[in-house]
Amino acid sequence: MDPPPPPPPSASSEPPPVAAASPSQAAQPPSPAPSPAQPPPSSTPSTPAETLTPPTSSSSSSAPSPTQNPSTPPQPLSQPQPSPQQQSQTQPPSIQPQQRPPLNRSRPQTPYAHFAHHLPSAPTSSSGPPSSIASPSPSPAPMQRGGLAIGVPAHNPHHPRPQQPPLSFSTFSPSPPFSQPFSSTPRVPEQSPTSSSQVRQPVQGIQNIGMIGALSAGSQIRPSVMSGSQQQRFGQPPLRSASPSANQTLNSQKFPSHGLPRTPSMASPSSPSPVSQSQSLQQQLSSAQGKQMHAPSAPSSSYRPSVKPHVLQQRPHHLQQHQHSLPMTSHQQQIPSSQQQQQQKQQQQLQLQQHQQQASLSHQSHEHHNQQYVALRNQQSVTQQQQAVRALGSTVQKSNVPGQGQSGVVQSGNISPVVNADDAESGNHVLSKRSLRELVAQIDPFEKLDSEVEDVLVEVAEDFIESVTTFACSLAKHRKSTTLEAKDILLHVERNWNMTLPGFGGDEIKCYKKQFTNDIHKERIAVIKKSMVATSDAGNPKNPAAGQAASNAKAHAAKAPAIGSPKTH
Amino acid sequence: MHNSSSGPPAKPRVGSSQPSEASFKRKRGVFQKDLQHMMYGFGDDPNPLPETVALLEDIVVEYITDLVHKAQDVGSKRGKLLTEDFLYLIRKDPPKLHRCTELLSMNEELKQARKAFDVSEETLANAD
Repeated sequence: MDPPPPPPPSASSEPPPVAAASPSQAAQPPSPAPSPAQPPPSSTPSTPAETLTPPTSSSSSSAPSPTQNPSTPPQPLSQPQPSPQQQSQTQPPSIQPQQRPPLNRSRPQTPYAHFAHHLPSAPTSSSGPPSSIASPSPSPAPMQRGGLAIGVPAHNPHHPRPQQPPLSFSTFSPSPPFSQPFSSTPRVPEQSPTSSSQVRQPVQGIQNIGMIGALSAGSQIRPSVMSGSQQQRFGQPPLRSASPSANQTLNSQKFPSHGLPRTPSMASPSSPSPVSQSQSLQQQLSSAQGKQMHAPSAPSSSYRPSVKPHVLQQRPHHLQQHQHSLPMTSHQQQIPSSQQQQQQKQQQQLQLQQHQQQASLSHQSHEHHNQQYVALRNQQSVTQQQQAVRALGSTVQKSNVPGQGQSGVVQSGNISPVVNADDAESGNHVLSKRSLRELVAQIDPFEKLDSEVEDVLVEVAEDFIESVTTFACSLAKHRKSTTLEAKDILLHVERNWNMTLPGFGGDEIKCYKKQFTNDIHKERIAVIKKSMVATSDAGNPKNPAAGQAASNAKAHAAKAPAIGSPKTH
Repeated sequence: MHNSSSGPPAKPRVGSSQPSEASFKRKRGVFQKDLQHMMYGFGDDPNPLPETVALLEDIVVEYITDLVHKAQDVGSKRGKLLTEDFLYLIRKDPPKLHRCTELLSMNEELKQARKAFDVSEETLANAD
């Protein structure tokens, strides 16, 4: 059969994050149509790329479009159907959208069940996208029944797409249950494939949308294992709503899209136990694996900015570990940090979970996840330290924020892949491995440091700061002051480390200490000079010896009066 | 205490327990205008940030202060502070050294020119 119709072109308009989501989705082709379903969803991701030429794709010039798809799979897969794992999405995206509506209606809640099935198959499917592509093509029909052909591997694009519509639509199937908040979802497929609304809706509806970047707020809605923390998060509905995961997903989806439902949901989350929430979350996550769409609405806009940087960083990493996030959540809660911090972490976790499904990198993401939490934790502790140090005009130039005021957060805020071992350390580290690597990059872009070397350097930095601060405190004490000021550190560093730090000097001018010379010394020098002059006048070649003798005599004479002079003192 | 201190009245008390010179307040913005032009010449924005100019000024003042202190140390051995002391200190920096010698030679030439001009004026005036 023709490969599943290419995914609706609307997806193409979505930014890359969606594309990322789609690949993740592709990784877990919906169970209903294990292999065949894959192609359609995979094709959907390609649609976004092809949205530019939706008519062409639908028209049968699918051949060219499919070719484009593979090159642009990661692209705008705003559609919930993440191009199955790979990029082969040249699938007939155009067809899918049309058939989506029927599919969606057919299974309002089955998708979740399908998703559950897809979960186990996801990894396998993701692993063999190319093979899946080939397989799905032959049997597009099964996909149609499938429900959520999420993450269906990209199917041959050149296939006419006519039959795939249901398949492609299946990718959006998750939206139907979520579509409640978005009533327009079913209509989306009917729209021209270029309609970007399709993409958007599923994005909204889909909970585990790879909220990358700004959408991180939406991801928060996800089940976050941190049920308890969810309450804190406003608008991030606790998926706890009802046991059925479907409901949860609905709720979660609703939140991002509608503000009203949020409030009621917020209340609900507080009551349910975190355990149940986590469970439901897991279910949702598994089901929503493939769907990673950007939640356009930013329900928790307030958290967005804070999470944004983290989210953006996470985007490239596909984090998994749903389970890991669980222990992390509890870990996080223990952190005395502000709620925001927790929320941020939660968001990250959610994002991580989402990514994990999509995902391609599994282990790394986990590490990143851990790192993020640790980084967040460290941030606060480090920031305080940094601020204190900065106030002293710290000479910690090693940190990435030399001479900057309160940019301590920036330094530790770099959430990047770091070895787990780094995070294992407790907070209160002045120099993070990430900052160290950036410093090295400034020196040599291609230089790499061993982990042991990094450890040693971090230790050296800490020792330096400690020694400088200690001595500066003793100087301040010597100054009979209880405040450690910049000049204390400047003095120590300048005298003992021979380091000048411009910019912190203040208004004092360094006084020049004239060498102290005794009167006697001055007298003697004067006498010697006179004798030297006299001898030179007398004729150097003639009596050098005589001159010397004369000078010696004068020296003796000078000594006599010099000895006498002290008595006068 | 009571005039018992015969001898030189200016007897130094315990060396530098009392600094003879007080620490002066440094005036900010001494080189502000000139530095801006120089920074522009080296590639910076025509209107650099004030903080940048202040930092550069700190660096410049610190450098000059350090140089003068070292020159004083060298000159005190000789007894007087001469320009040769400064040239001696920057001997390791060829561009600076060359520039300094060039400026000094130009200064001498200008002096000669002025002198010649004045002399010629005088002769003319005398001739009149």
